[in-house]
Amino acid sequence: MDDRLDLPQGTLDLLILKALSLTPQHGWGVSERIQQVSNEVLQIPQGSLYPALHRLERQGWIRSEWGTSENHRRAKFYELTRSGRKRLEEETVAWNRLTTAVELVLRMG
Amino acid sequence: MIVERIASQIRHRLRALLRRNAVEQELDEELALHLEMEKEANIRRGMSPEAARRQAVLTLGGVEQTKESVRNARGVRPIEDLVRDVRFAFRSFARTPGFTIAAVLVLALGIGATTAIFSAVRAVVLRPLPFAEPERLYMLWESNPEMGWETQAASPANYLDLKERVASFADVEAYGSLWQAPITGLERPIALRVRNVTGGLFSMLGVGPMLGRDFTEAETWASATWRAGETPLLLSAATWRTVFGGDESVIGTSVTFNGGAARVVGVMPEGFAFPEEGDQLWVPFGWADEARDRAWFRRAHSIWPVARLADGATPEQAAAELDAVAAQIEREHPEVNRLMRAGMSPLQDFLLGDTRTPLMILLGAVGLLLLIACANVGNLLLVRASAHRRALAVRAALGAGRGRLVRQMLTESVVLAALGGAAGIALGVAGTRLLERLQPAGLLRVTSFPVDGGVIAFAVAATAGAAILFGTFPAFLARHTGPGEALREAGRSGSPGRLARRVVGGLVVAEVALAALLVLGAGLLVRSITELRQVDPGFDPEGVVAITLNVPGARYRGPEQVIRFYDEVLTRVRALPGVASAAASSTLPLRDRGSTSDFFIAGRAADEYGTEVVRRSVMPGYFETMGVPLLAGRRLTEADGWRGDGVGGVALINEAIARQHFAGEDPVGQRITLDRSPDSTSVWHTIVGVVGSERQSAIATPAQIELIEPFAQNPEREMYIYIRVARGDPARLVPAVGSIINDVDPHLPLFGATAMEDLVADSMARDRFLMLLLLTFAAVAVVLSLVGVYGVTAQAARQRLPELGLRVALGARDRDIIWLTIRRGLALVATGVALGVAGALVATRAMTGMLYGVTPNDPATFAVVVLFLVAAGLSASWLPARRAARVDPADTLRAE
Repeated sequence: MDDRLDLPQGTLDLLILKALSLTPQHGWGVSERIQQVSNEVLQIPQGSLYPALHRLERQGWIRSEWGTSENHRRAKFYELTRSGRKRLEEETVAWNRLTTAVELVLRMG
Repeated sequence: MIVERIASQIRHRLRALLRRNAVEQELDEELALHLEMEKEANIRRGMSPEAARRQAVLTLGGVEQTKESVRNARGVRPIEDLVRDVRFAFRSFARTPGFTIAAVLVLALGIGATTAIFSAVRAVVLRPLPFAEPERLYMLWESNPEMGWETQAASPANYLDLKERVASFADVEAYGSLWQAPITGLERPIALRVRNVTGGLFSMLGVGPMLGRDFTEAETWASATWRAGETPLLLSAATWRTVFGGDESVIGTSVTFNGGAARVVGVMPEGFAFPEEGDQLWVPFGWADEARDRAWFRRAHSIWPVARLADGATPEQAAAELDAVAAQIEREHPEVNRLMRAGMSPLQDFLLGDTRTPLMILLGAVGLLLLIACANVGNLLLVRASAHRRALAVRAALGAGRGRLVRQMLTESVVLAALGGAAGIALGVAGTRLLERLQPAGLLRVTSFPVDGGVIAFAVAATAGAAILFGTFPAFLARHTGPGEALREAGRSGSPGRLARRVVGGLVVAEVALAALLVLGAGLLVRSITELRQVDPGFDPEGVVAITLNVPGARYRGPEQVIRFYDEVLTRVRALPGVASAAASSTLPLRDRGSTSDFFIAGRAADEYGTEVVRRSVMPGYFETMGVPLLAGRRLTEADGWRGDGVGGVALINEAIARQHFAGEDPVGQRITLDRSPDSTSVWHTIVGVVGSERQSAIATPAQIELIEPFAQNPEREMYIYIRVARGDPARLVPAVGSIINDVDPHLPLFGATAMEDLVADSMARDRFLMLLLLTFAAVAVVLSLVGVYGVTAQAARQRLPELGLRVALGARDRDIIWLTIRRGLALVATGVALGVAGALVATRAMTGMLYGVTPNDPATFAVVVLFLVAAGLSASWLPARRAARVDPADTLRAE
């Protein structure tokens, strides 16, 4: 537990938006997807995940709908809104610029 | 797109606020699913269902914390907390109804009283006059040290000279005194209150009529009226509505005004009242052109000039010019204008006159009451917080954030302040309406007090501020003491910290001191009223009614007609059943003094002339009717009649002038004339008797020197008919008198009737009203502070219960226990009273102008008040002390 990376809020938002960009997903699904794709490095605790999801929904980047999960249970599914999709694009571009710049600095001398 | 996102924000926040249960349930479901999915993933990884669930729970961490985080992310946390705090505050107040009612009541009283008085004061004192540039308007007056005039009305000739010669004034206009004129030509003859004005007065003030036209400058002079053949009239809006039907066609209506032809030319706007509310009709002076050369034009000081400063002129310049011009006029008319000077005051101040002091006193009193209310609220809150100190400490120990606790207490205080404020505003508005209705006519010169938003805001801010300050004070105390310390210090529930106790004690002292101030002020006023009640007005008002009449000059040209009219009326009135006696006089004691004159007593040295003798005419029988004693000589009889133009006759003098000018001699038989320096044309009267003095101006003003002529010798048109009835209410005769007047002259209305007893009571009405108000404030203040004293003593007793129990067990007597407990309360009361008295010794000096027959530092009043307050304080602290002494020591020791 202790070697979990502490993700800043903006990065977490970006990951969630990306995770939802392909198909609508419920909360557990989002955290699973991120965990798998990052080779188990990024493990989002539910204490961070759900506040983020609810906040993103309030802000209008994602919307939710109640549906049935794979195991036939009632689940709340989230998907990107149009604004959310645009936001994802913008934030990805910004992220790439940031990391490239940081890399350059770390590489110097 | 942004709009969508804003809409989303609002939607979600509202849902979180309003449908909280549903939202929470959904979150539960969501998190439950998450747990379920994790558990199934664990099962897939090969764990047993038991282990899978356990591992899932471990991995996922605390559900409650997650929920909290989600709740915080919803963006409505502050509002939710606020709502919860408010709910808690209401519940907590409901559990202690005694405290809540007391606190709300005190707040309401403080805010309500302050609002009512402030609104009244503001309406009267601070309201700017509704004229163009009112700060540039000044009242002009004349002064004369020889006559004893300080701010006297001007004479028309002097006014005109000032108007023409003082360049610093852009314009000077004037108005005269109020009189009543008969109007006929409407449904019924009616008497209206009239004021003469110069033609340009209203346009100088900057107010135009709402219907019709204003007067012109030319109409100040009779020539304009003579050419038009009729007098122009301006109506007040109220008169237009009630007397003239409120119709737009009123312009051009012809009526008979004071016996002459007149026509309504305009109606002044709603609410316009200059110079006084109650003026119903305005009429130009209509001076004859020849009057400019007449002696009376410069001698009769009967008009009030109003001036407007010219652009660029300063008041100092104007005052200097005024002085110079007055000196000039004196040089040109040495006989008449000797030592006459002119001065100016801002119009607003002048119109306010002598109402300023009582208003300021009231303001001060209500300010004191407000302070006491604040102190009392603070007291209540501190005591309450002390009772909760232990609970607070426990909560702090359990981890409630200090900020949270402070916020909680702040919310409570604000809720209390809101409740009290709402009640206070309601009370304030009601109180203002009550004041409007109860105030004796003329006290405040204004009949409606708009409730001022600024005043409410101030009063609410003051008391709310006190509530919040004292409500959160203990929370700040809690910040600085750790929970352990607080628990230790708190001991058993209800015991306050040392600092809180000191503050409460200080508050009670303050309350007692302020209450003492109020009671002393009220006490002085009570003494004043008592003294006033015992003043002998000079006549016996019981069973007497006075009826005003004014016969118009147009139809009663010569003295014979006037005499005939009044003789006829009086004869018929005397014949009415129940009438013991009836007569007439040209003045009304305590209300209408009539005119004054210079005089000269035969046989004195040339420079021993007299000034300012009140002169009036009475019909025979007046002094018996009014119960005024004859002190020397004889009364007037029917035989004392008209001797002819310029031929002197007889006169009576009153006791005041007999004392002043005939000390040691017999005035009867001496001769007197109403000229300052008699010459061959002077008319001499022989004094035939001396009568008791009646107070002419006000109940508190001593009687002035007076000369009384027989009516037949000097008939006046405006007379008061006095009727004394043998028994019962004299006013019941008024309708009968009305029909008599109607019979004798159908065109003459009844002008007004006053029972003399009412008149005497009215003369004290103002002071009595003030006294009642102040007494009310004082009573409230005393009650509030006594409650404070009681509370403090009760708490001290409660705190010391074990110690006292021990003492009783060791043999202390009841008396000792009582003394121990009472000591604190007594000390507070004594300190408070001492402070209050010290303050009052200085403060009551401001009341000097309002007091009659008692000095501001009257020792008797002070002594009585001090004794009363100490006794009251003693009884307030005695009750809890006695209860403390009754307690069984075994109980208290066991409870330790």
